[in-house]
Amino acid sequence: MKYGLFLGCNMPTIRPDAERGIRLTLEKLGVDLVEVQGYACCPGYGTFPASDEVASLAVSGRNLAIAEAAGVDIAVQCGSCYSVMRHANHSFHNEEKLKKTNALLQLDDKQYSGHVKVKHLIDLLYNEIGTEKISNSIEHNLEGIKAVVQYPCHTLWPEDVMGFDDARNPHKLGDLGRALGADVPSYSREFQCCGGAGGFAARNKPQAVQFAKRKFDAMVDEVQPDVVVVSCITCLMWMNNVQMEFGEDWSPIPVLDYNQLLALCMGFDPKEVISVADTPKVPVDLRFKLAEKITKAAVA
Amino acid sequence: MIDLTEANTNLVKEIFGDDLDKIGDIRKCYNCATCISGCPAAEGDPPLLIRRLVRKVLLGLEDDLLDDETPWSCVSCNCCEEMCPMGVHPFEVGLAIRRWQCSQDETYLPPSLPEVWEIGHTQSVHKQGTLRASLGLADAPPSVCVTPGAIAGFRKMLKETDVIRDNSYMFKEEEE
Repeated sequence: MKYGLFLGCNMPTIRPDAERGIRLTLEKLGVDLVEVQGYACCPGYGTFPASDEVASLAVSGRNLAIAEAAGVDIAVQCGSCYSVMRHANHSFHNEEKLKKTNALLQLDDKQYSGHVKVKHLIDLLYNEIGTEKISNSIEHNLEGIKAVVQYPCHTLWPEDVMGFDDARNPHKLGDLGRALGADVPSYSREFQCCGGAGGFAARNKPQAVQFAKRKFDAMVDEVQPDVVVVSCITCLMWMNNVQMEFGEDWSPIPVLDYNQLLALCMGFDPKEVISVADTPKVPVDLRFKLAEKITKAAVA
Repeated sequence: MIDLTEANTNLVKEIFGDDLDKIGDIRKCYNCATCISGCPAAEGDPPLLIRRLVRKVLLGLEDDLLDDETPWSCVSCNCCEEMCPMGVHPFEVGLAIRRWQCSQDETYLPPSLPEVWEIGHTQSVHKQGTLRASLGLADAPPSVCVTPGAIAGFRKMLKETDVIRDNSYMFKEEEE
C-alpha cells in the first residue's frame, strides 16, 4: 500500500510531533509513504479559493499532478487540505476547468489527468487498513481510558464530494478509538465543529471561545473524558489552545491526534510523538501523564 | 427601507459569472435558515448569515454587499452545503462573494497571498529545522520552497492568473 503523504502548512511547522506520529504508525501498519516532493499550500480556503478560482485550481492541480507523476494517491490529515483538494478534483470533472488548469500547469512542466484520489487518514485507517489490523498492531491498549472523538467537519460535508463516513451520523473515528480498547462514549455536542478554522476564530475570538466552551462543557458534564481524539490539524491546535482561554477554574483535557494515540499504543517514544506545544501555556505534562498510564497498561 | 432604484440588476452575473451550476439556483432560497443552524460563524459579531447574503445578491444591493465582511468569518466546514433543502450551495455563494469583493476592492485580498507566493505556504515550513530534527524528522517537509528550482516554476504558473497579474505590486520576484 503506497500513498503520497500531503502535510499541508500547519502540521510540519507548528505540530511536527503529530507528523512524526503519523509517519511512524502508518509505516508500522505497512503503508509505504512517498514524499509529495515540491508540494505547496493546498491552497487554504482563505487564500486563493477566496480570491481567484483559476489560481486556486492551478495550485491544487499542481499538488495533485506531483502525486500523479509519482504514481500515488494522496493521504492527508488536515481537514482543510482534504476539503480543498477534494473540491478541486470535483471541479476537474468539468473539462473546461481541467483544460484551463493544465494550460497553467504546463508553464511549470506539469500535467494532471484529474484521477488522483485524495484520502483522509480516517478513511485510510478504517477502510483500507482496517480496525482488526490496527488492534493487532498495538503493544498497549486503552482499557480504562475514556476518549471522546472530534469528527473533522471538512471530511463530512458535503457528503457527495467528501464522504467516506455517514455524514449525519459518523462513527469511523469512534470505531478506530474502540479498536485501541478505549471507551468512546457519545455526548450531545459530539458532532459540533470545533470552530477553529477560517476567519471565525481570527475575527470573532470571544464568540469562538464561547462556541468551543459549550462543547467542552457538554463533554465534561456528560462523560468526563480522559482525552479528546482528533484527526485534523486545526482541531488539534484549536482544541488544545482554546482551553487556555477558559479561565483558571478549567481543568484542561489533553487533546491528541488519533495517530499520536496509536503511536503511544504501539510503544513509540512519547517525546517524539506528543511533545510539542505551540503555545507555552498548554500543559504538555498532562499528555505525558496519559502516556505513562497507557504504557503501564497490560500488553494487548 | 431598501431603495431598489439603486439596485444592480446584474449583480448575480457579476458575482457568479457563467458558473451558475456551482452555486445552485439561489432564486429557490426562501430564507429558511437551515444554512445558519449549526453554523459557528452565525454566532459571530456581526454574524455570518448566508441567507441574508443571498437576499442582498438577489436584490442587487451592491454597495451594501461590498461593505459586508461577514463572508470572511466562514470556517469552511461546508455544513450548509450538506443541509440546504433547496439545492443551493451556500458555502460556494460565500466564497464567490469573497472573490468578487477581492476583484472590486484590493484591500480584501488575503494577506496570506504574498506568503504563498513567496514560499508556497501560509507557514514558514522551512524554518523549524531544530524542532523537527529533535523529533526524528527531516529539517523541512518536501516543500516547493526547499526543492531546488521549484518555486520558480510555481511562480511562472501563478503569474498568468488574474489575481497575481492585477496586483503585481504585491508579488515581488526575488532572487532565490
